[in-house]
Amino acid sequence: MKPMLSTDLNMAESVTEKTKIEVKNLNFYYGESKALKDISLSLRERSVTAFIGPSGCGKSTLLRVFNRIYELYPKQRAEGQVLLDGKNILDRSQDLNLLRTKIGMVFQKPTPFPMSIYENIAFGVRLYEKLGKGEMDGRVEQALKRAALWTEVKDKLNASGLSLSGGQQQRLCIARTVAVKPEVILLDEPASALDPLSTAKIEELIDELQADYTIVIVTHNMQQAARVSKQTAFMYLGELVEFDATEKIFTSPREKRTQDYITGRFG
Amino acid sequence: MGEHTVASFDEDLEQISKLISDMGDLAGSMVGGATKALLNSDNALAQRVVSDDVIMDARQRELDDRAITLIAKRQPMANDLRAVVGSIRMAGDLERIGDLAKNIAKRVGTVGLSVTPRDLSHSIDAMAQLVLIQVQGVIEEYAARDAAALAKLRNEDERIDVKYTSVFRELLTYMMEDPRNITACTHLLFCAKNLERIGDHVTNIAENAYYVLTGSQLPANRPKQDETAMSAPAA
Repeated sequence: MKPMLSTDLNMAESVTEKTKIEVKNLNFYYGESKALKDISLSLRERSVTAFIGPSGCGKSTLLRVFNRIYELYPKQRAEGQVLLDGKNILDRSQDLNLLRTKIGMVFQKPTPFPMSIYENIAFGVRLYEKLGKGEMDGRVEQALKRAALWTEVKDKLNASGLSLSGGQQQRLCIARTVAVKPEVILLDEPASALDPLSTAKIEELIDELQADYTIVIVTHNMQQAARVSKQTAFMYLGELVEFDATEKIFTSPREKRTQDYITGRFG
Repeated sequence: MGEHTVASFDEDLEQISKLISDMGDLAGSMVGGATKALLNSDNALAQRVVSDDVIMDARQRELDDRAITLIAKRQPMANDLRAVVGSIRMAGDLERIGDLAKNIAKRVGTVGLSVTPRDLSHSIDAMAQLVLIQVQGVIEEYAARDAAALAKLRNEDERIDVKYTSVFRELLTYMMEDPRNITACTHLLFCAKNLERIGDHVTNIAENAYYVLTGSQLPANRPKQDETAMSAPAA
């Protein structure tokens, strides 16, 4: 008698996990062109979900819907529902500033502000909270520790954020995101501009952060998606082709298009 | 199956697949040769089987090297990953089949000295034929990518187990009839056991091949018909 397979156990466990973001029949338009076609999926709380797919498949667009950052640009609109803890964030009544404190985002290219390391973190916190000097110091330290950057910068908090290496800058951006105590962190190709060692540090960080945050990562690096995520969505031409447990996607996907893409047989 | 964007990836996979096929052919020829040598007391043929095992081992090492290099270079996913990992495992089973065939071949001299084995082993011949069909079949079905045939072939092992039970009883009878048969029959019993083990390795290969092709595992439990384990000590 063989023991029960661990995948069976995982599946049994997954049923009880809580949904943080639920996307229902989401369509997205850049002007006339439809970039997302009727997307529906659920993202689990305190878990990492990866979006993969070729350039132009809509994965970054989907990520940008989650904090409505697309609204900074004209002629971009979303239809359907994106429920954060059951509440539709696409509602007109949704306070965007509040939404963006709840859902933080880190971009492909590190984007530190041209100010000190300390101010890079304090700046965002001040927008939402009034903290005393001591409290703010504590918050900055905590955020830098959370982003595994503290030991490298603790003696030069007044140095410019731009003086850091690319990998350090990216972790500074993660610290900045974490400092405002979000619930969800969106990572858009967070390691694609970094060397392997910095990439490994970011991945280690993602591993740690998922204990407290719901994380969504867009990546072109499939091994990275396989390493860091629990669930993976494969998108193609604006459609969600397959969404399943990461191990299932990378060992025996259901859809031929998924298999062709992840094995490097695409068109 | 479409081709990879990187053509050399297809070539790397093709080389691994060819090695499995070569090892399968060699395993078939070793099993066939060993049993033929045993039944005909053909020492020259037995010697060839023994030396073929060196080739088998070399092939397995080559396959391991290629598979590990491919994983390092290409980071295969999904069906490619299953094919590479599956090949490593199948090669392990084929190498063991080679060892067991060699073991049969090495007994040829000893058995042949005492009596004409053919007189003692009517059913071992039939059992060997069944095993040979299985060894050749599993590699053919894998090459033909026929998952249903592999599932069926895996269950065919049952017939080998049944045959093994009858060979066991037959040899036991010969030993009781005439103690001078004991040496030869004991060796033949080991040969039969080796054939039965070869059948088990074919079963493993079929299961692996099925997983490589489909991404799902065959059910864990397969009917077992080898009764010797239970009936032997009581006799």
